[in-house]
Amino acid sequence: MLPAVLLAGGLLAATLVRLAPGFAVDERELDPRLNASSRDAIARDRAADSNIGRYYWNYLAGLAHGDLGQSISLRRPVKELLIERAGTTLRSVAAGLAIAWTAALLVAIALEIFRRPLLDLFATILSGGALCLPAAVLALVFLYLGAAPAHALAGVLFPRVFRYVRNVIRQAARLPHVLAARARGAGELRIIAAHILVPAAPELIALAGVSVSMAVGAAVPVEVLCDSAGVGQLIWQAAMARDLAVLVNVTLLIVALTLTANLLADAGRVAVRQEQA
Amino acid sequence: MRRAAALALATIVLVLLFADFVAPYSYAKQFRDAPSAAPSARFLLGTDALGRDRLSRLLYGGRISILLAPAAALIAVALALLAGLAAALLGGWCERAVTAAADLCLSMPWLFLLIAARAVLPLDADPTLSLVVTFGLLGCLGWAGPSRIIVASVKSHLASDFVLEARSYGCSPLRLAVAHIAPNLAPLVTAQFWIAAPAFLLSEATLGLLGLGVTEPLPSWGNLLREMENVTAVAANPWMAAPVLLLIVVVSCSHLVVSAEEYGV
Repeated sequence: MLPAVLLAGGLLAATLVRLAPGFAVDERELDPRLNASSRDAIARDRAADSNIGRYYWNYLAGLAHGDLGQSISLRRPVKELLIERAGTTLRSVAAGLAIAWTAALLVAIALEIFRRPLLDLFATILSGGALCLPAAVLALVFLYLGAAPAHALAGVLFPRVFRYVRNVIRQAARLPHVLAARARGAGELRIIAAHILVPAAPELIALAGVSVSMAVGAAVPVEVLCDSAGVGQLIWQAAMARDLAVLVNVTLLIVALTLTANLLADAGRVAVRQEQA
Repeated sequence: MRRAAALALATIVLVLLFADFVAPYSYAKQFRDAPSAAPSARFLLGTDALGRDRLSRLLYGGRISILLAPAAALIAVALALLAGLAAALLGGWCERAVTAAADLCLSMPWLFLLIAARAVLPLDADPTLSLVVTFGLLGCLGWAGPSRIIVASVKSHLASDFVLEARSYGCSPLRLAVAHIAPNLAPLVTAQFWIAAPAFLLSEATLGLLGLGVTEPLPSWGNLLREMENVTAVAANPWMAAPVLLLIVVVSCSHLVVSAEEYGV
């Protein structure tokens, strides 16, 4: 299933870009410094990509040999661009996820330990307010505060992760075995660690998989607005320039990343369930 | 709380719908004597860099977004309902195809899909075309999430007694879907609509802020937020943040309404 979805994702992106008006036109053809033969050569290059089926077949054949093609807008090999920028995005996505998850778990656990309605209301209003803001506006706020892209990503992810984590922990805390543990005088930290987080682990692991997709999506506006040279910014530039080679590769990369994260999360969830059973 | 939110939402929608009567000026009218003017009795929210009244643009832009985001949500929910009913009732290859298409849509980040699809339009696209395409895309790409929930719900209905009884009387799959299952999905579909509409408002706003939403001179919440790119100017002139505040109010009211709807499902 994974390879089929991967291939379909790449084909979808290639088809979308191929159908874009002006796809067959290259700005270099308007350059008066180029002679007629150079312009003809550019037009021939462009025409070679116009048959989407043939383009995609050639692309897959190249991919099998490690050739990801050439970026038309940046005039550099796509492989080189991805290697250069993937580190920046991976670092900010990983740091953003780590900060958002740590903060969400800490706040949700603190709310469960203290069980103060006012604190709960405050956290709900704060996270609810952040959920009502477009990711790009939140990124701008963090940019204004001088925060790094990873912090901006964490700011975008935190309210979404927190809402789910809070609900999962709250539901787990209402289970009869937790009430029984409280009645027997178990300490709050022990109840949280052994009686709430452990049963809630499968749901939290599933959410971790989904949050990777959220983070990758949020990386686009964050990197564009924070001027961070990562894959998110590359997607943006490729979309603006209708750079087929970059878009197809990035689509495959993103689909592979999100599907792998979801598969790992599913495997983890099943393993934890089996362990608990 | 739900009633207060619904009332606030209805009031805002009414005001925006009657923007022609409420707005002091046309959204495109330029006051070249007053570019980037501060709020005054003449311009309650000041003017933008091109001398256009911000309040008028906010009202007209809000009207466009508040009308088209629910329209896009309707498209998404209708597509999800069709796909969900077909997948659950027909099963086999149809269910596998719908599941694979939904997996593909869900595995690609929402914003990336929108950017790639919106990039299909030329940058100098007609404003009305950009408007229709932006919200049309939101509607066409937003079906995957709701369809999964609808498939699960239809399957649970298929195992219920009333469906078994209808089948035993020889009810065709089409009649089963239209007359027996679809009416029972109404609360779920309504909840999905209320979830999708504010999500589409926010998506259009993000696209607009990145310059890929509705194009000028037509105002929308997205392109009104583009002024916020200059964060230092917004800090010095806080009234420039009025579109964000209105967006927060509308989306939070929708969330409050949807919470109650979800409990009703």
